[in-house]
Amino acid sequence: MKLIFALAAATLFGSGAYLLLNRDLVRVVLGVVLISQASVLTLIASGLTRGMAPIYPLTERDVSDPLSQAMSLTAIVIGLAVTALLLVLVLRTVDAFESRELDEIAEDEALRDAALERQHAREHEDEELAAR
Amino acid sequence: MIALALALVLPWAAGIVLVMLDGRKRSIGWISVAVLAANLVALIVLAVEVLPDGKVEETTGDWPVGVGITLRADALGVVFALLSSAALLAAAIHEVIEGVRERVFPGLVVLLGAGLTGVFVTGDLFNFYVFFELSMTAAYILATYGGTRRELGAALVFTTVNLVGTFVFLLSVAGLYHVTGTLDMGQIAERAAGVEPNAAIMIAVGFFAAFSVKLGLFPFHFWLPTVYTGASPAVAAILSGGLANIGAYGLLRFGGELLPGELRLAGTALIVIGCASIIYGGLLAVSRRTSSEMLAYSAIGQVGYVLVAIGIGGEVGFAAAILYSVVNALNKVLLFLTVELRGALVGAVFVLGAFSVAGVPPAAGFIGKLELFRAAIDDPAVLVLFFLGSALSFVYVFQIYQFDFWRGERTGPRTRWPQQALVAVIALPVLAMGVWPEPLLALSHEAAAVLAR
Repeated sequence: MKLIFALAAATLFGSGAYLLLNRDLVRVVLGVVLISQASVLTLIASGLTRGMAPIYPLTERDVSDPLSQAMSLTAIVIGLAVTALLLVLVLRTVDAFESRELDEIAEDEALRDAALERQHAREHEDEELAAR
Repeated sequence: MIALALALVLPWAAGIVLVMLDGRKRSIGWISVAVLAANLVALIVLAVEVLPDGKVEETTGDWPVGVGITLRADALGVVFALLSSAALLAAAIHEVIEGVRERVFPGLVVLLGAGLTGVFVTGDLFNFYVFFELSMTAAYILATYGGTRRELGAALVFTTVNLVGTFVFLLSVAGLYHVTGTLDMGQIAERAAGVEPNAAIMIAVGFFAAFSVKLGLFPFHFWLPTVYTGASPAVAAILSGGLANIGAYGLLRFGGELLPGELRLAGTALIVIGCASIIYGGLLAVSRRTSSEMLAYSAIGQVGYVLVAIGIGGEVGFAAAILYSVVNALNKVLLFLTVELRGALVGAVFVLGAFSVAGVPPAAGFIGKLELFRAAIDDPAVLVLFFLGSALSFVYVFQIYQFDFWRGERTGPRTRWPQQALVAVIALPVLAMGVWPEPLLALSHEAAAVLAR
């Protein structure tokens, strides 16, 4: 059972990492979602026990571990919230850049840096001359 | 105990209400400042309670001990909580004087305050994750503050990278729960010694990666320059002075207390990574021509010192790491807030901040560097690197000072006096800690004693 969980979590994490390195922003979000699911699966797998539902008062027989269930539920809810947040962020970025390609966002930043560099080169022309 | 509850619940409840109100109104901004100030006061009261007795412990919801989630405030947590709260307060006042441009800003800063306080006073592993995510979520939205292309691009990078870091942290939490069977940090610390070494090393590496991403250490730094230069000065101050503390605190708490064996094992590796960070950050900062870019790369270099001190370990090393985290966070808040200001007082404050970054007396940075040298005294190679790093930082801060204040490249109208007065007030503790360092030294040794026990 542990092996199945481990393999499933590893596959999810691997696919998520692959999507994360994609240029398309929506695929990046999907990658984050898959990685979050991998960690939820690992949380469930961290307390794999078979037994009764742990309802008070406890009977003599074994109970299954409620903590890992509670943790995965919390993690799922938090994962949902941050995914929604990330999607809104992507939407705003797409609106602002009119593109969903990471390349164009990077290009925009590179253009800004180049402009800054040119401005400095102009301002420090005298220094460069003196240095030569 | 009341102070502990107040420090946590007050910003939490107030933050939820404030997020729904229009934060662009001046009154709402000042209410959020008042809440943050109240949080700081509650934390000071808590610190006064904690420091003589060791710790204040509370199980939430009247559950029996061992079942409910524990809140545990000890010297280490309180130091970092105080520091973050002060950083948020300073940045919030700065922005409210400047004029808040987005309606959610004040509420989110208060919620970030609640999350950070929670992270530093919780004694439960999973609860740590929840507060961690609360503060990170607030920070993701804060990173978009301003809303132009530049901020949005930066926020997207920040959110994606840090989300992956958070999930790696969650994987390690699952692993630690699996091998120790408990979520209480005290019990984990007791049981961690008996854990199979291979599993423990994997878990420790996960925690290290997650916290290094938050700190922006050298191999994990790629998101940091974009975000710190892209965000507005107040947000950059919040991220570097408030949020980055989670990284330093996490490395100390998880490395020093929960997995001390693994930390000792990785000592040399941490020192190497820290030194790489110092040199990389220093060299790139020297090549920068604007203050925000210089500060972003300087942030990468400065956290390297913290990592080296943690790698050296022991009470002296931990104390140096805590002290340097405090000094570094104050420097960053001070310098980031001056980025867009102009005026004589701003120039003087910048010089003080520059002295502190370079480690020149009478600023607090000198004490930080002194403790670092004391911790690394047995290792000549590290001492040489520290010296080199300090020389680089001297060059990069004063180069920017020359450009901005001597050549007068900062354009725009002269800043009005409330802004100038605010940065001068923030500069006071930096100066005071350099002139009279005993309280800070005692505090950091007290906090380090929690770990070395």
